[in-house]
Amino acid sequence: MNRTLSSTATRSYWLGRYLERAESTARLVMVNGRLLYDLPRRLPLGWQPLVDITGGAELFAQLYTESSEKNVTRFLINDLHNPASLFSALNWTRENVRTLRGIIPRQSIEYVNELYLFAREFLSEPLSRTRRVQGLSKILEFVQRIDGFMSANMLHDAHWTFLRLGNFIERADMTSRIIESGCDNMFEAVSELEPFSDIQWRSVLLSLDATQSYNTVVQSPISKEAVLEFLICNESLPRSLAYSLNSLRKGLQDLPRHEKILRSINRLRRTINHADVGSLEGESLREFLDDFQLQLAQINQAIADVYFEFKPRRRATRN
Amino acid sequence: MTINWQTYENEGLWDELITPRGRARNGAGKLCRTLARLSDSELAARKTAAELAIRSMGITFTVYTGEGSGTIDREWPFDIVPRLILKREWDRISSGLIQRVTALNRFINDVYHEQKVFSDDVLPREYIERSKEFREECLGVEPPHKVWSHVCGSDLVRDKDGRMYVLEDNLRVPSGVSYMLENREVMKRVFPELFEEIVIHPVDDYPAQLAACLRSLTPIKSPQIVVLTPGIYNSAYFEHAYLANAMAAQLVEGSDLAVGNDDKVYMRTIDGLVQVDVIYRRIDDLFLDPEVFNAGSVLGVPGLMRAWRAGNVALANAPGCGVADDKVIYTYVPDLIRYYMNEEPILPNVPSYRCVEKDQRDYVLDNLDKLVVKPANESGGYGMLIGPKATRAERAKFARQIRANPRNYMAQPMLTLSTAPAIIGDHAEPRHLDLRPFILSGAKSYVTTGGLTRVAMRKGSIVVNSSQGGGSKDTWVVDLDA
Repeated sequence: MNRTLSSTATRSYWLGRYLERAESTARLVMVNGRLLYDLPRRLPLGWQPLVDITGGAELFAQLYTESSEKNVTRFLINDLHNPASLFSALNWTRENVRTLRGIIPRQSIEYVNELYLFAREFLSEPLSRTRRVQGLSKILEFVQRIDGFMSANMLHDAHWTFLRLGNFIERADMTSRIIESGCDNMFEAVSELEPFSDIQWRSVLLSLDATQSYNTVVQSPISKEAVLEFLICNESLPRSLAYSLNSLRKGLQDLPRHEKILRSINRLRRTINHADVGSLEGESLREFLDDFQLQLAQINQAIADVYFEFKPRRRATRN
Repeated sequence: MTINWQTYENEGLWDELITPRGRARNGAGKLCRTLARLSDSELAARKTAAELAIRSMGITFTVYTGEGSGTIDREWPFDIVPRLILKREWDRISSGLIQRVTALNRFINDVYHEQKVFSDDVLPREYIERSKEFREECLGVEPPHKVWSHVCGSDLVRDKDGRMYVLEDNLRVPSGVSYMLENREVMKRVFPELFEEIVIHPVDDYPAQLAACLRSLTPIKSPQIVVLTPGIYNSAYFEHAYLANAMAAQLVEGSDLAVGNDDKVYMRTIDGLVQVDVIYRRIDDLFLDPEVFNAGSVLGVPGLMRAWRAGNVALANAPGCGVADDKVIYTYVPDLIRYYMNEEPILPNVPSYRCVEKDQRDYVLDNLDKLVVKPANESGGYGMLIGPKATRAERAKFARQIRANPRNYMAQPMLTLSTAPAIIGDHAEPRHLDLRPFILSGAKSYVTTGGLTRVAMRKGSIVVNSSQGGGSKDTWVVDLDA
């Protein structure tokens, strides 16, 4: 009987994470650009929040002096020193795909190579705003094609499950970070002014490509309470925290030895159910999201401990 | 009409399909007539069909490109004209191969146990003691059925007199069998009509036979069998993945395996550690176990040798079996067959000179321009001198090397390898070829039906290795009586 090796399971999982990361980073940079151009010129709005969302503030400060549009987009898109950059994610996607030959469909390996080559070519020249937007939408299209192709053609076995686990861990993490960006005071100066009063939550919805869904489901003007409820608790929105956790749970149920990890997921799921998320704001919201990210990191670690990294007891090293 | 066998230029050559007078050899009539009936465009279409099949089946081999860029995958170079062997001849060759490999396995077992072959003066002891492939660590180990080389690929060549010789025996980790299997699949797509008209023996039972052979190496009822590969960058990775898949065995790399305190081998899976019973290893001895051999190896598994010595895992091929895969030992194989089997060899060796013996060395040094000189322990056609084609300086360099280290060299007359037609542009030209059948030894012996025919695609060349521009063609064992 054929088993699923820990090594190929690990690579499938990380393939899922990197593909998801590439997609969300591309969308984040695209949306933020669009948003900023809507704002009045005199406002001291910048690109730094994007760096903060990806958790790269410290690294950014080491590499760059000023959080200009040019520096931040470079950091988030091209920079291989930044493990969370788009190009890093594509690079690792390609590396994982190469070592999964025979497990993922051959055609998707070709698509990934094409995507990588396109990105390398596109990033080799300076990015004007127009080129940037064009390139990023092309990359988004590529990633979605790969996603769709694998979903339709790959054997939905344990490797597929690990790939999806990687998708949803990464997605839950990103969604929570983007929501967190809504608590920043960066929009305070604007939010007094019409028509910008709801701009921070509009931007959050946009970054998650969730505006249309919000309008369909919530059917009321954009408000902090409703946006939080929607992005955290809605079970039909594919990028919500609840949906991601449900998907993790569903995936794990197909895997052996899942008891401990499932318990952690259920615990986190209950936290969400019981919190009155609409009423969270400022510090309490930040605390809630930090706790969510921490628990998510523990789930990530638990998956690694159970499936990826165990070793047999080794004989004492010989002298 | 694009192929005209009357104008086929095979004077002075032994061609596998066409006689010197331009007629089809026995058994090849239908094939040659079919080929000659194809128009230019039909022939081109068949060629394209083969290329398409190879691409869509993903048949590739990896070429090392040297520094920096690493490796690239190339599509398998394939010629659509098959090579034919009559069943009668094949049956004889097949028993000759089994006889040969059986003797070689007895020899290896003897080397690691009583060493009677030396005390009985069949072979000087120092040959082994100086062999790069002799492994002290294997002394006294008892592999199942006393078999060490479970998968052997022997290279056969036919000289211009029509006689088939054994050129060498690859006893360590021979590759190529997956291409033999895939070549047949390609041919069925390209010439389906011929398979209806001619009785061609199938080749596709090899994976099942290999699996049975590996299963026979353990008493366990449903053993966990793995194929151990160095990884995706190895030139034969395609084959490792192919065979694992065809045998429903697990394809693993060294880092997927670990040896526990109990000296058993385990595989890391999402279900936990799973014990492994048989390893079909496709990495060289010296990379198998960093605890024993090359300490820097990351391809192997620390402790593997201790697990094997304890009898907790079967390794195919067994470590140390390369001691018989040595071009100097090769020169003794007919003697080894007489000694261990008490039989006359069915298949002849190519006449060979041992440089370590003075009179033979003197002959070699005096006739370097007529001989092919081979180092004892290289494969893939590397490190050879092809005397008639070498420059004076190259020959002088080899003469120095032979004098400095005679044990490391043997020499053979230059054979004119037989040819078969290959499609070159829009017509057929003879190209030199060899044949690599695969011999399995476990509880039972098995020989592939035919084998992998390798072709030197450059005109006049006799270098058939795919790493050096060789191609391949399907090999048909044809039954005239069926």
